[in-house]
Amino acid sequence: MTTTTDPVTRPARDVEAVRLVVASVRHRNRRRLVVTLAVGAALGLAFALIAISSGAASVSPDRVLATLFGQGDRTEQLVVFKLRLPRILAAVFVGAAFGLAGAVFQAVLRNPLASPDILGVSTGASLGAVWAILGLGLAGVVVSGFALAGALLVALIIWAAAWRQGLHGIRFVLVGVGLAYVCGSLIAWLLARAEVRQAQAALLWTVGSVSDVRGDALTMLIIGVVIGCLLTAVFAHGLPVLALGDDHAASLGVRTDVRRGILLLVAVLLIAIATSVAGPVAFVALIAPAIARRLVDDGSAALTASVMTGAVLTLGADVIGQFALPEFTAPVGIVTGLIGAPYMLWLLARTERKSRA
Amino acid sequence: MSGSQAVSGATTSRTEPDVSSAAASSGASVGQPRRRSARHIGSGRAIVVLAACALALVAIVAASLALGVRSIDPGVVWQAVIGPDPANADHNVVWQLRVPRTVIGLLAGVALGLAGTLIQGVTRNPIADPGLLGLNSGASLAVVLCIAVLGVSSPLGYIWFAFGGAAAAAAIVFSIGRGQPVRLALVGAAVTAFITPLIALVLIRDPETFNQYRFWAVGSLTGRGLDVAAVLWPFILVGAVVAFVLANRLNLIALGDDVANSLGQRVGTTRAIAGIALVLLCGTATALAGPIALVGLVVPHAARRLVGTDYRWIMPTALLLGPIMLLAADVIGRLIVPNAELEAGVVAAFLGAPVLIAIARSRTVAGL
Repeated sequence: MTTTTDPVTRPARDVEAVRLVVASVRHRNRRRLVVTLAVGAALGLAFALIAISSGAASVSPDRVLATLFGQGDRTEQLVVFKLRLPRILAAVFVGAAFGLAGAVFQAVLRNPLASPDILGVSTGASLGAVWAILGLGLAGVVVSGFALAGALLVALIIWAAAWRQGLHGIRFVLVGVGLAYVCGSLIAWLLARAEVRQAQAALLWTVGSVSDVRGDALTMLIIGVVIGCLLTAVFAHGLPVLALGDDHAASLGVRTDVRRGILLLVAVLLIAIATSVAGPVAFVALIAPAIARRLVDDGSAALTASVMTGAVLTLGADVIGQFALPEFTAPVGIVTGLIGAPYMLWLLARTERKSRA
Repeated sequence: MSGSQAVSGATTSRTEPDVSSAAASSGASVGQPRRRSARHIGSGRAIVVLAACALALVAIVAASLALGVRSIDPGVVWQAVIGPDPANADHNVVWQLRVPRTVIGLLAGVALGLAGTLIQGVTRNPIADPGLLGLNSGASLAVVLCIAVLGVSSPLGYIWFAFGGAAAAAAIVFSIGRGQPVRLALVGAAVTAFITPLIALVLIRDPETFNQYRFWAVGSLTGRGLDVAAVLWPFILVGAVVAFVLANRLNLIALGDDVANSLGQRVGTTRAIAGIALVLLCGTATALAGPIALVGLVVPHAARRLVGTDYRWIMPTALLLGPIMLLAADVIGRLIVPNAELEAGVVAAFLGAPVLIAIARSRTVAGL
């Protein structure tokens, strides 16, 4: 008769054991995240140090520190505060925005390939900017406004066209690819029509560069990215559940469509703001979350880590673009594109093998 | 019963790999009436369709000769065609501007229509298109490099590089994205995305190359003379003959690789031959008219809708529909903006995008 107590105590013991396992896994994941973020921050600081001290007028690291604390002479102050610091901040915040937006896109659409580059949102922003530069002869912050409008308009059209009893990830991607072609052909037409010097300025914009982001545009970028991060943090609670699929999420009581809608909207706004100041920096939104997920490796959407990888990646790419070739500085978008596209191909080759197995 | 019949008919015609999920995801759309599978369309109807297409092509060629920024009386155009008078300015406009662009539109349209049909048939992929699969961007990069590095300046010189670039891109895209439609499109997008910054890198440093390249990149029927067409037409002829010869094999491939193999088909050989024809057709079209997207996508779909799923009828229909669409895009582009022109490539993208969206919204792709 001693066995009668077992059915009562054993489940209790099992629950306790499971709780311990979960706690230890959580602890390990948290430690891993902290280590990842710390290493990322260190890497970012190293890149920033290179970016701030090298260039046409080189400033030694100790002079950089002195200048940052207000001890530098006038040239050093000009170089550090007016030229190099804005560029670094722009790269960091643009990268953070793309990284976070990409992570949200990929989690919500459940597709590791969803990114604004493929979806035509970036092309829409480019079209807005190229039209403003070439069609209307504008320059400066107004161009960013047009880019913002272009990105949002394309996002809206994709949304409307892909919506059919819910949002299907692949439909979303295909409609986006189609719109990217329309925008691309219009950009080509505007470029062919314009005076060649102007057209080249517009072409440079479509590549994506952080070299000219300063003043009001930089302030707008930083405020926008901070707000976007906060909003995402607020609404991202259901994200791991969303990743299970609509049916699971709904059965767990998460109102999928509203959540997905808000998160995607915030992501599109982040992309639009970043693109409007820096141009479409290719592929950061695709690679940064993929790297982040690999580093954190806990099956989550890895939002925090994506912010970090995006920032470090963009800053690093900008440093490479500035100093890799001796007499030519490549805009950051070219460097990220040349790194990102092969990565995407590799990703595609790999997923194919997996799905076949 | 009729619903399930329609579903099975539609799926065998394209042989989507995942029939069950396609059927499952389409619970709501079963009620939609679907035209009975086109294999029931007899050859009588196909002949009528072909005749109508031929008439439409004649009409669009006439429109292409008669309409433009400079308004010329149709009677004068006719006189110019049958007996040109070098002293007459209107006759010169017709012969030096409109005849070349019409001929180039005809050739490039034929090439794009057939290339799209081949690529969709051989990959059993409803969203295959030389532009979507990155072949155009491969050709573009090769053209940029040949302008920038080798200093080639005539369209006649571009041709070989356009061929090479298209072939290289095709090799990469097909080896990585084999089989699955959406993956092929994504690999194409990735290849395009890799090549675009490379092109930009060259163009930003080299304004002169940019100045030449941008007129090519927009996709236009103007700017090439009949001399280019005279060199390139044999390639299109070879490509077209191969496409027609392969038509029956494509019918077997449409049943699936396994069925085709078991019926004695060498699927790999067919794919390789089709690949060569594809590069010939795409390379020529790109050399003639620049990178024009979405014509190759739309034409096969329209043809399938008109004459059914038999590639022996689809091929001739696509042969006629390709130039109809490209020349129509060109004519629309001449008329839509007052006193200016919208290039054919731009108008074609606008005509093609709604079709791509419609395909994306349809059940077959969403079920993948």
